Amino acid sequence: MRTRSLALANVLHRPLRAGVAVLFVGVLTAQMITALALSHGTLNEVAERFQSVDAELVVLPRQENVIFTAGAAFSDKYIPLIRSVEVGARPAVDHVIPVLFDVAKLGGQQQRLFAVSRRDIPAFLGGRKLVEGRWFDDQGRFEQHVASLSESAGRYDPDRVDPAELARACELVIDTRLARVGGYKPRDEVDVLGRRFTIVGIVEAGVAGRVFCSLAALRHIKMGGADWSSTYFVKLHDSVSAEQTADVLAARLGARVELKSDYSKLLREGFAQVFAYMMGISGLLIFGWVVFVFLIIYTMVLERTREIGILKALGATRFFILRQTAYEALIIAGSGTVLGMALSFAVRWAADRLFPLLTIDLEPRWFALALGIGLVGGVLSAAYPGWRAARCDPAHALSYE
Amino acid sequence: MTDVMLNAIDIHYSYREGSVVTPVLHGIDLRVRQGEFVVIAGPSGCGKSTLLHVVGLMARPDRAQELTIDGQAALGLSDAARTRLRCRKIGFVFQRFNLLPVISARENINLALRLKGESLDGQAERALDSVGLAELAAKKPGQMSIGQQQRVAIARALACRPPLLLADEPTGNLDSANSLRVLDLLKQLQHQQGQTVVMITHNEMIADCADRVIRMRDGRFED
Repeated sequence: MRTRSLALANVLHRPLRAGVAVLFVGVLTAQMITALALSHGTLNEVAERFQSVDAELVVLPRQENVIFTAGAAFSDKYIPLIRSVEVGARPAVDHVIPVLFDVAKLGGQQQRLFAVSRRDIPAFLGGRKLVEGRWFDDQGRFEQHVASLSESAGRYDPDRVDPAELARACELVIDTRLARVGGYKPRDEVDVLGRRFTIVGIVEAGVAGRVFCSLAALRHIKMGGADWSSTYFVKLHDSVSAEQTADVLAARLGARVELKSDYSKLLREGFAQVFAYMMGISGLLIFGWVVFVFLIIYTMVLERTREIGILKALGATRFFILRQTAYEALIIAGSGTVLGMALSFAVRWAADRLFPLLTIDLEPRWFALALGIGLVGGVLSAAYPGWRAARCDPAHALSYE
Repeated sequence: MTDVMLNAIDIHYSYREGSVVTPVLHGIDLRVRQGEFVVIAGPSGCGKSTLLHVVGLMARPDRAQELTIDGQAALGLSDAARTRLRCRKIGFVFQRFNLLPVISARENINLALRLKGESLDGQAERALDSVGLAELAAKKPGQMSIGQQQRVAIARALACRPPLLLADEPTGNLDSANSLRVLDLLKQLQHQQGQTVVMITHNEMIADCADRVIRMRDGRFED
């Protein structure tokens, strides 16, 4: 009979209590793992999508930040300024991609709407393909219509836009995850910005946005056709320093210029309070289960006072008693942690089906963290009960009723 | 090695509950030779069990002139050293059997052997066989009768072969048939293994089986 076997026998002696304790630890562990996996997974997924844009810099209004920018603030007159930037007496910029942002409610939640020109779509695909349907504003018809009106009148006059052409241009391309969530398919109609839009294509998930529409169409709807953008993605020539170009651009435009590679860091900074909250909640959950396991082990020690006296009478050392108590706590904490890991997979499986837009990224580090917490929490929760049991006077313990 | 297994001189012990001190043992002298079967008899509450706890190194006397177990001084030892000495030299059989309820009879004996650092080597099975309980080796104490539980407790002492066996009212909860069987087993331990047995009881009839009977009253031995 080894200490571990005796500890297991003690735990299993009250199977209901042990089961409830393991379940409690398991549920809290699963909650901690999934909360971390969801918060980090969602941000990582957004960051990875953003990284897929074929550009190195993001230019946005000084007062905005790359995470929360939504409105338009730049006239396209900035584009020649950006294009003409030189670093080391050499042209730095290959091309500029204007993007206008808005918000569309699809799949039951707000989505950032990316309005881009058809010619800039390849920069957003990052190797991914259209899996169904076609891109919006087929053959650039609406862009051409707007251009022809501007040429003939000398300036853009929104009242001269043909309503039929505009209605045809109200088209969206969405990604596969959003299509799955909303059950959308090509030719479905949805209400966006107070108009009927038709979903015309579905693109592989992983591109920068989930919802795309024509830049010309959104500019007409939102800004009376004014050539304004929310953000410019800037593609640089090869071998040009992105950092140096960013500094020159920021000085020249008086705008905020971020490295695309910093997006993940900026995203985390932008959600720092959310992360702090999540960590706080996770800490409380861990504290809760440590206290719960402590109470369970303490109760077990109290009700086994007489048995501890027997062990001491038989010659068990303090270390033996302490070790046995620690094993009991570790059996509960360890089983609960393993159960929590299994439950977190079940939660991800369910979330994938019920809320496909959520990204629960079960990284190995969350499991390692849970195991570490299980180990340390188990030992901590056994520390006082074990110490108390180890110091128990055998004669007194044997008379315990 | 000495021919005196237990030597206790001028043992004093009091129970303390807060500021209330209740003296229980008043200068007890007890010398037991190796292989001797000694019964300490007396009414309930006279201090018999307390004496057993003190000489069994489970309680520290308030003061004592000497306390040796098989020639080894026990006074002034640390808790760990007392535990080691108890583990090597002393075995217990209690009125309430004191088996661990969550493990089987065999495992109860194996646990005691492991704590003594002895190999298992089928000793538990042999000990259970010698008390007629081989077929109940896998049963937990709660699945046995009271008499069977006490026999398992004796089998545990048998397997561990402690030089000094302290028995605290081992027949106190048993009917007369089981009591006789337990006493026979204790006598066997003494005769076959040469173990020293100190048994306490308030049953004068049981005292007849001893080599020597010491009567105790109010924390003192009677002349």
